[in-house]
Order: sequence, then structure tokens, then C-alpha cells
Amino acid sequence: MNPARSLTAFFLLSAAVAAQGPAFQTPGTPVYPAVPGPQADSGQADRFASVFNPAFSFIVDVVGDYVDVDGSSAESGFDADLRVLEAAAQAWVDPKAWAYFVGVSEDEGFGIEEAAIHYNGLEAIGLEHSSLRAGRFFIDFGKQMQQHVHELRTLERPLVLRAYLGSEVAGDGLQWDHWLPAGDTAAVRWSLGLFSGLLPEETEFPTADLELELAERKDFGELNFTGRVTGFADVGTSGTLQLGASLRAIPEYDALDEVNGLAAEGLESTVYGVDATYGWSDDTGERRVTLGGEALVSSGDTGFALTDPDTTPGTGDETLAVLDDSVFGYYGFADYAWSRFHSAGAQFSAAEIPDAAGSDVSELELYYTRWFSEFHRLRLVLASIADDTSADSLRLAVQYTAFVGAHGHGVNW
Amino acid sequence: MVSTGRPAMTLLLALLLSGLAGTAPAERLRVVATIPDLADFVREIGGERVEVTSIARGTENLHAVVARPSHLVAMSRADLFVQVGRSLEVSFVPGLLENARNERIRPGAPGFVSVADGWEPLDVPVELSRKAGDIHPQGNPHVNLDPRAGTHMATRVLEGLVRVDPGSEAAYRARFEAYAARLKAAEERWKAQAEGWRGKTLVSYHQEFGYLARARELEILGTIESRPGIPATPNHLTELIALMKQRGCTVIVTAPWSNNRDLKLVAEKTGATVVEVPNQCGGSEASASWIGMMDLIHARLGKALSPP
Repeated sequence: MNPARSLTAFFLLSAAVAAQGPAFQTPGTPVYPAVPGPQADSGQADRFASVFNPAFSFIVDVVGDYVDVDGSSAESGFDADLRVLEAAAQAWVDPKAWAYFVGVSEDEGFGIEEAAIHYNGLEAIGLEHSSLRAGRFFIDFGKQMQQHVHELRTLERPLVLRAYLGSEVAGDGLQWDHWLPAGDTAAVRWSLGLFSGLLPEETEFPTADLELELAERKDFGELNFTGRVTGFADVGTSGTLQLGASLRAIPEYDALDEVNGLAAEGLESTVYGVDATYGWSDDTGERRVTLGGEALVSSGDTGFALTDPDTTPGTGDETLAVLDDSVFGYYGFADYAWSRFHSAGAQFSAAEIPDAAGSDVSELELYYTRWFSEFHRLRLVLASIADDTSADSLRLAVQYTAFVGAHGHGVNW
Repeated sequence: MVSTGRPAMTLLLALLLSGLAGTAPAERLRVVATIPDLADFVREIGGERVEVTSIARGTENLHAVVARPSHLVAMSRADLFVQVGRSLEVSFVPGLLENARNERIRPGAPGFVSVADGWEPLDVPVELSRKAGDIHPQGNPHVNLDPRAGTHMATRVLEGLVRVDPGSEAAYRARFEAYAARLKAAEERWKAQAEGWRGKTLVSYHQEFGYLARARELEILGTIESRPGIPATPNHLTELIALMKQRGCTVIVTAPWSNNRDLKLVAEKTGATVVEVPNQCGGSEASASWIGMMDLIHARLGKALSPP
């Protein structure tokens, strides 16, 4: 036995034991941080003091709707859905870092939508306006992809975002954010994110029921990444203008058709876009106008076409073609709030869909939102989808959302 | 605040040249105040030694303030940050503080000042529940509308200035003494104006004039809002109208942001006089300073409460 190593190990263990606080420890058990209780003198006897617990919240988002799909009675009718039950907690970890998680109800269970830590202590290396975020979180793309569905201005994310990026895209990875002043009335922020995967769990326009997959282990160049640069500036005394550009890249993925045993490998997908948003408020801050839009291009291996001459799956005559094309889409919106409690607006989105038929799809949403207080709201929505190669549809929806407790996602501007 | 005439051009240039942009060294102390009242205190005490930015505009509803790029930039460069506190500015201060990442003005740092600290609070909730509306755990936050709190708030500002700029302490103290004398004279003037107000009743739109009422021994019968931050319901208005008639209440006081339809309805049904007063200074020429704002409030209330 090396006496020097033994001595070093003894001192290190002694230090750990001294720092671990009141929890009784035996060798090999985890060490937890000590937490003082509410009473300064006797609190040290309590292992389960709650004074430093995180801020908790939950959100209930309920949607009741009627859908009318042209020529399809099976897809038409009424429905009601607890769309989201979200539970979240957030707290400072130390003076330079805070952490949060967002769990959401899924069909029969509960999933972790986001769980990440923000670290703001990079001023030591001259990056006082930088932060690092690590964990699972929504991608920083445009103005809407960081927001959860219940936080949106309308019922759904714009069609073009759902079609090109996914309804919600959370990635496991790391993101660096930095901002800096540009003069006295403007600021610029950029972010770079590296992720293990950014394929959406659900796609708005599924192609041939394919499974999209990423390699379990990747070379550095196969990691998925995002980038965004945005700047915003005062406009007069009451307005703000924001411009931005975003990129999401998946350098390599595979598409699998398990039914027919077909595969397309070595595919890539890139989506990039630009966005502009203008906000204005009157002298009281109560009346507000917000105008905005975003234009996107999805390029690379954007879609698939499965042909099956005998229309019977698995007979061996099927072929899978990859559509290597660039498609374009956009959305624009106008929102007017005549008080903190009432707002209405319209959002229009159109996109070329990467399918064999070369569909063009558009969606118009009209909505009115009534906030009863800062913490719950009712929304009425009329949404119309026009598809030049498929059935059009009309949706009338009522959305009710309640926010309880501290609501703090890691959303950047 | 400086505003730009060509925002799109500025923004594009900013995007291109952001790497070259830096913080210009300033000779004067850079101070950010959340509301114009506090900016006024800072100017009075700091004089030429300070450069002050106010986040809220004088006419704004403090619950609806929108943080803007210039606010973020100003916060990131500030040597001193002055807020009222008690969650008055909760809708915009936490986000600005976190994103500005300015260690000089973090809570607990020498450059962080809450002027409500140490002032006896009103309406501290016994139970913290949203059943009571948008309540503030630390009590009513509208301390800036207390005519007796001027010297207290100015003292907090003085302490902050001295902490971050001890070399100018003598100058700050000299200006403070002069300002405190003016405040004292003004407070005596307002007190004299309010003689005869004791016990009179009024209704307000929002629970923001509680400190003013306490100082002048007025009784606030109720608010047009059914709870703080919650718009009126028909039942609530019916009950309020009945109460006002029963108690002979003839004055409704409101800030400019809340002079709305509900308030006018109650005034019509009760015959009460609507008195619009500033809830922070800077909204008009007459209320450009905190003392000027209090003069205006006392003059307008006096007209309604002590008609000739």
C-alpha cells in the first residue's frame, strides 16, 4: 500500500464527511448537501428542511374543438382533450447557476420535456454576457420554437414550423448564448447549440410512415446543431423592432420503412429562416400591437415517396425514393391587445410540403383571448386549413389555460 | 433615454458591427431607476454627477411595463439600480436583472437599492393565495405615493450613491440636505392642504393609493377592481355602488391608466367625482418632479374633497 496515497485519500474523505452536513453516512452511500432548517438554532437537526426548495408550478391546458374535414365524416366531429398538464420546478443552484425541469403529461404517462441548467458565471473569462445551458431544452430557432404550446399566441404553432421543424423540438445537448449592447438602444444576441438529436417526435405531415433515426453514437460532424443571431432595437419611445436569423442542421440521419424492409441512409436536413417582429404599446402600456413573421427554407433530404405497385405491403415490389429538394414556407401574424385582458389577432401560414405530390398547404387562424387575471385565460379560435392535394378542414376550438405558481422556462429573447 | 430615428438601419448596423461595439467609459455615475419618481430622487441628490435612466414612463401601468432593448443595455452598464421593491416591479425587473448580468447591481450588491425597505408596509397579506388576486407578499408596494415617504426614499437613494461612489459623499450629502429641507417644507404644505380631509371616504380603481390615504387619514371604501389585478365583476360593482351610496362617498380616485369604462359606470351610478391623479411622476409637465406630482395630487384631491 502506498502510504502517501492512503494519507491523501484519508484527508479527502475527511473533508467530504465534514462538508456533508447532518445526514448520517456510511461508506458508499451518496452525500447530500446540508440544508439548514428554518430555526437558526435547532434547524441543524432536521435533514428535510424545505426552506430552499425550488419554486414549483403546474399548468393545465384544455382544448375542446369541433373539426370539419371535407368529405370525411370519420375525421369530423367534436372532441375534448387535456392537451397539456405541465409540472415544473426551478431554483437557483448557486449564485451563478439556475436549473429547471418541465414535465408534461403524455398519453398514459409523464415525460420530461425540458430539464436543464443555466450557467451564467463566464465573466471570469471575459464573457460576462454569456450563458451556457446544458440538458434537454427547446431549440433556439426563430421566435416561437422555444415556447411551449400553451404559451403561444394562438392554439397551434404556425403550420410552416410544424411542417419543417416539428410541433415541439427539444434536444439533449449544450447551448452557448451571448449578447452585447450595440449603442444605447439596441442589443444583439447569438446562440450556438450542439445536440445529440433534433428529429421531431411527431411530424405534422408524416411521409410513408417512416421511422427517422439517428446513430446512437456519432462523429462530431454528425451532431445536430442550431444557430441563431438576433438583434432588437428601440423604435421611438413606444416600439421595439427585432430581426433574426436561425439555422437547424441534422447532418446525418436514416429513414427506415420497417413494414417493407426499406431504408435510406446517410440523409441530411437543414432548415434556415429569418424573422422580424415589431411591438408597440401606448403610453399606459395597456394597448399593444404586435406584428411579425418568419420565412423558412427546408433543404436537403426533405421528404420521401414510397411506391407500391401492387398496393400490398411487404411483397418486395416497393421502392423508397428520397426527395432531395428545397421547400419554402412562411407565417405572418397581427395581434392587437386593447387591454391586458383582451386581445385578438390573425395568423396566416403557408408551406410547400416535401411530399411526392408537391402539396401546398396554408392555414389561417383567427383568435380572441380573454385573460380573467394574469393566471388564467380563455381563447376562442377559428382555424382553416387549405391543402391543394388533400381535403380542406375547418376547426373551431375553445382553449382554457391556467398557470399556477412560478412559471419559468428557459426562454431567450 | 435616447431614441433612434432609423431603427431598422441601426439594427442592421448593430448586427454587422456588434463585435466592435463596446461600453464607452462614462465619467458620470450610471444609474437606472425603475420609475420616474426614483429617477427624480437620484437627480436631486446626484446632480451633475449622475446620469439617470428611468425604465417606466410616467403614464404607464406598472403592471404592464414592456422591457425594451435600451433598458437591457442601461442595466448592463449601470453602477446603481434603484427600485421601489415589494414586488411592484416584478413584471420586468427580474428578467432585466438576470439578462443584464451586471454584478454591480445584483440584489445584495452595493449598487442595488430598494427604497421601500424599512418603510412600514400596508396590506401585508395574512394568507398568501391567488384567491386574493395579484397580491404582493411583502405588502402594498405603492410606497412612492406616500407623501410622508419622500425623505425616507431619498435617504435610501443617498445611501446607495454613497456606497458606489464614496469619493463624492460630501457632495451627495450637501445636495441631500438641501433636498430634504424642500421635502420637509412640501410635506408641511401638503399636510396643511389636507386639513379637513380626515375620515372622508373615497374609492380607487386599484389598491395603489393606500399609503396616501393612511397619510391623510382618508378611508378607502373599496376598489373598482374586485381584487388587486382582477377586473370588476357586475356583482362587485353593484355592491360597491350600494356601499358608496350608503356611506355618501363622492370621490373616485384613479391613475391615468385605469380611468376606464368600469370606473365611469360607477361614477355615473353614484354621482361621484372622478379625480385622475398621477401614480408616478413624469407623465405631465406639472408632475415632472416627485414634489410636483404630490402637489398635483393634493390639489386635485383637495378640489374634490374640500369644495369651496
